Amino acid sequence: MKIFRQQLLIGLALLLAPFSAPGAAPVPPGQFDRLHALIKPHTDEQKWEQIPWLADLWQARKLAAEQGKPILLWEMDGNPLGCT
Amino acid sequence: VGDDWYQRRRNDVEGRFWRSVARQGPRKGEGGSTQQGIYAFTADGQLLTYRNHHDPAVMREELRKALRAWERLPASRRRPGAVKVESAGKSDARYHHALPPGGLVVNVFTRILDRKGEGFCKGTGSRIGGDFAARDHLWLTEAEWKSLIPVEPKKGQTFDVPAAVRDRILRFHLVDNTRGEPPFWRRQEIRTGKMTLTVAEVTPERVRLKLEGTALLATRADPKQATRGFDAGLLGNIEYDRKKQAITRLDAVALGEHWGQGPYTGGARPGRSPLGVTFELTRGEAADSVPPQAAREIGEYLSTGR
Repeated sequence: MKIFRQQLLIGLALLLAPFSAPGAAPVPPGQFDRLHALIKPHTDEQKWEQIPWLADLWQARKLAAEQGKPILLWEMDGNPLGCT
Repeated sequence: VGDDWYQRRRNDVEGRFWRSVARQGPRKGEGGSTQQGIYAFTADGQLLTYRNHHDPAVMREELRKALRAWERLPASRRRPGAVKVESAGKSDARYHHALPPGGLVVNVFTRILDRKGEGFCKGTGSRIGGDFAARDHLWLTEAEWKSLIPVEPKKGQTFDVPAAVRDRILRFHLVDNTRGEPPFWRRQEIRTGKMTLTVAEVTPERVRLKLEGTALLATRADPKQATRGFDAGLLGNIEYDRKKQAITRLDAVALGEHWGQGPYTGGARPGRSPLGVTFELTRGEAADSVPPQAAREIGEYLSTGR
């Protein structure tokens, strides 16, 4: 009976195995702050990020008209300030 | 900066203005094709220069050309106030998406990583720019962010993150967008997804919660057969100011192994490799108004049910 129960448990475990996720390791709490800082953009990485871009074309147009300046528009599929 | 996916489709004053500028350049947008690139133009819509190039030296010369073209215009057109800009009027709601009133914007940054000792460092890859942090925004409606804070919090209390918020984070924000526009996960590609909040501290001034989670996202039920996947753990902290009735901190990290690529994210590293995603509240910058990448399909993005 004991052997049968063991075999049944092993069988169930094997049956369930394909449906169980391998399971990602948890984020180490001791590394949280370092990881958070590491993943974010760093000020010294990309100089274009230092430009005070506007994200509204109409606002840029009004400002350019008021100040007598041309407009530089970086137009991408996926907003440079919001995707990629 | 602008997202041409929206701009070339907008049927409103702004969309028509934009297309009238872009079509002076080489990209006419025929058949709805992209007009992406770097443009210099006047406030009244005259194109000065267009170029789309990765080389900073090429773009520096292009900017000089733009300035020379600007300076050749009559002074009467260049003086402050010479151009009158009309009201933009009503926006085309199909292609102009704004944060719902009372909503919360969260910055989302993603970066490839490498293992270093017991920890991680910036990752390296062959694709130009793919080793920089990618950016996006997470939108939470007012009802959604309020649902993260218990009405009567008690230390140690644990509860599941509401499904709509959990699935939005999993499907649209645990993605590899480091090399371009990423494919998002379909609902059935959430193979496992658990996200809980535990009340860590309660004072008269604030409530602090710990966020924990795990997710397996994969294009096939058997992750070994999946051409693309992300197996990640999630950890974070949320702080709620009870007097301001506002979330004042939302920091989280998702860390795991990602594999595969999408149609616009070619050049992925081979096999499984570490990918990190961070979340934090925005800081009142112009970029905050940029919608989440996945919000192009706004109904699906803000969907509340399966």
